[in-house]
Amino acid sequence: MTSVSIVERGGGPPQRRRRSGGGFSYVLPALVLLSLVFVLPVLLLLLRSVTEPTLGLQNYAELVESATYGRVFLNTFLVSAVVTAITVVIGYPIAWLLVILPRRWADLLFGIIILSMWTNLLARTYAWMVLLQRTGVINKTLIGLGIIDEPLTLVNNLVGVTIGMTYIMLPFIILPLVTTMRGIEPDLLRAAALCGAGRLDAFRRVLLPLSLPGIAAGGLMTFVMSLGYFVTPSLLGGTSNMMAAELIAQLIQSLLNWGMGGAAAFALLVLTLALYALQLRLFRRAQAGRA
Amino acid sequence: MLLDFHRLGGLKWVLVGIGLFVAAFLLLPILFTVALSFGSSQWLVFPPPSWTLRWYEDLFADPRWIDSTLTSLQCAVLVTILSVGLGLLASFGLVRGSFPGREAVRAMFLMPMIMPVIVVAVALYAFFLRIGLGGTLVGFVLAHTVIALPLAITSICNALERFDKAIEDAAILCGANPWEAKLRITIPAIREGLFGAAVFAFLTSWDEVVIAIFMASPTLQTLPVHIWGTLRQDLTPVVAAASTLLLLFTLALMVVAAWFRGRTK
Repeated sequence: MTSVSIVERGGGPPQRRRRSGGGFSYVLPALVLLSLVFVLPVLLLLLRSVTEPTLGLQNYAELVESATYGRVFLNTFLVSAVVTAITVVIGYPIAWLLVILPRRWADLLFGIIILSMWTNLLARTYAWMVLLQRTGVINKTLIGLGIIDEPLTLVNNLVGVTIGMTYIMLPFIILPLVTTMRGIEPDLLRAAALCGAGRLDAFRRVLLPLSLPGIAAGGLMTFVMSLGYFVTPSLLGGTSNMMAAELIAQLIQSLLNWGMGGAAAFALLVLTLALYALQLRLFRRAQAGRA
Repeated sequence: MLLDFHRLGGLKWVLVGIGLFVAAFLLLPILFTVALSFGSSQWLVFPPPSWTLRWYEDLFADPRWIDSTLTSLQCAVLVTILSVGLGLLASFGLVRGSFPGREAVRAMFLMPMIMPVIVVAVALYAFFLRIGLGGTLVGFVLAHTVIALPLAITSICNALERFDKAIEDAAILCGANPWEAKLRITIPAIREGLFGAAVFAFLTSWDEVVIAIFMASPTLQTLPVHIWGTLRQDLTPVVAAASTLLLLFTLALMVVAAWFRGRTK
């Protein structure tokens, strides 16, 4: 609670007007909508994963045993991990810049990040499809500069997915990092300098450890979001190296295999929620550490 | 030292270099799309041999682009109204109520935000097929409201927590009835939160594609679904034209948002 009202604390006349334990009727309409259009459908899907084609856990057994499904989940992990690593390495200096740049320049950089974030997802993915194709600008530039002789295959494979996903995810790691780095006391670094620490020492022993909670929380969030992404991987990826969300879509929409589709969806869901719980703990610890 | 821009020394220029690189990386696809939409080459040659408005003419001549845009607008407006309305009510309950299980309800409201969208999409696809809401505007609106609601509630709850309830109580002491006090005192005071909720809800629906792909029918689809379908066939510059118009729309929204923030300060 950020503000406690005076009347509530003092228990004046309006306080009596409020029924104790009240307020539930206010949340009821949204709760009904959410139960009918979210909770119930998800539960029904999970139910189908253990009842179709027959009652039992055979769908989950197949999910674990099958080499095909295993490869899809491995691909998903791999791409998400690489995307997370790249976004952390690029996002960290950008967050740092946003904290220390003179106001006008910080605002400009911030505006560019927000603009890219707000631009329609499909519009951005389309741009990468065109930029990365064999006859696209990037291949032509590289050939023109004499760096490569043959055009690189940058799209319809995991390279394309990684580039597109990095682009999409970058703002999502920069923003939490900025919050963490704003909370670091500049005096601590001045103290480090007074104690004789050089720039490298001060970075390694003061700035980096203090921004670690932000890196962990932001990185985990990027990783989790990447795991479930659908649009960018299916447009920039190939047919031979699918990611988890595409597998679910295909099982259900093309193969009408509701049992397997439900099981794969549930696996992704559990994984996502478990990682979010972990992130929440990291975040809490970071806040406790600061207080 | 490290957090003081002017005392960074050589490191300053390393950081600025990376900043310029990332700014270029973020802007490149956007500028490139705009350039392509005015280029004459159907094969997306860059730089284009000459400039043309042909793709915009194609766009406006095709009723499917117009129809899907209108569907998207209609859907987004309804989602905005529904999310802000339900979100406002729910926020009053969450911030001021004291019913048992309040924290659980709050957590449940935020669930659609952290769930992978694909899971929500296939679950709703199955459910709406059964109850006959697949391929209908009502289906689109309900599905999008569910994922817009967490953002609306977060924005309104933040505003409501900052607002001092004593002011509303004072209005009641002065003779206003509780509804009048909420309507004339509290709601104007939290208008920035409401506006934020509306923008988030609108954009959530407007940009949403995964659920919409599963919800769409051959006769009823949103703009993102139409772009998606077009992209799967070929990389026509008409998509670049559509993307450019979407970009202009986003910029306009950002300007309005900035203007609104400036005005309420």
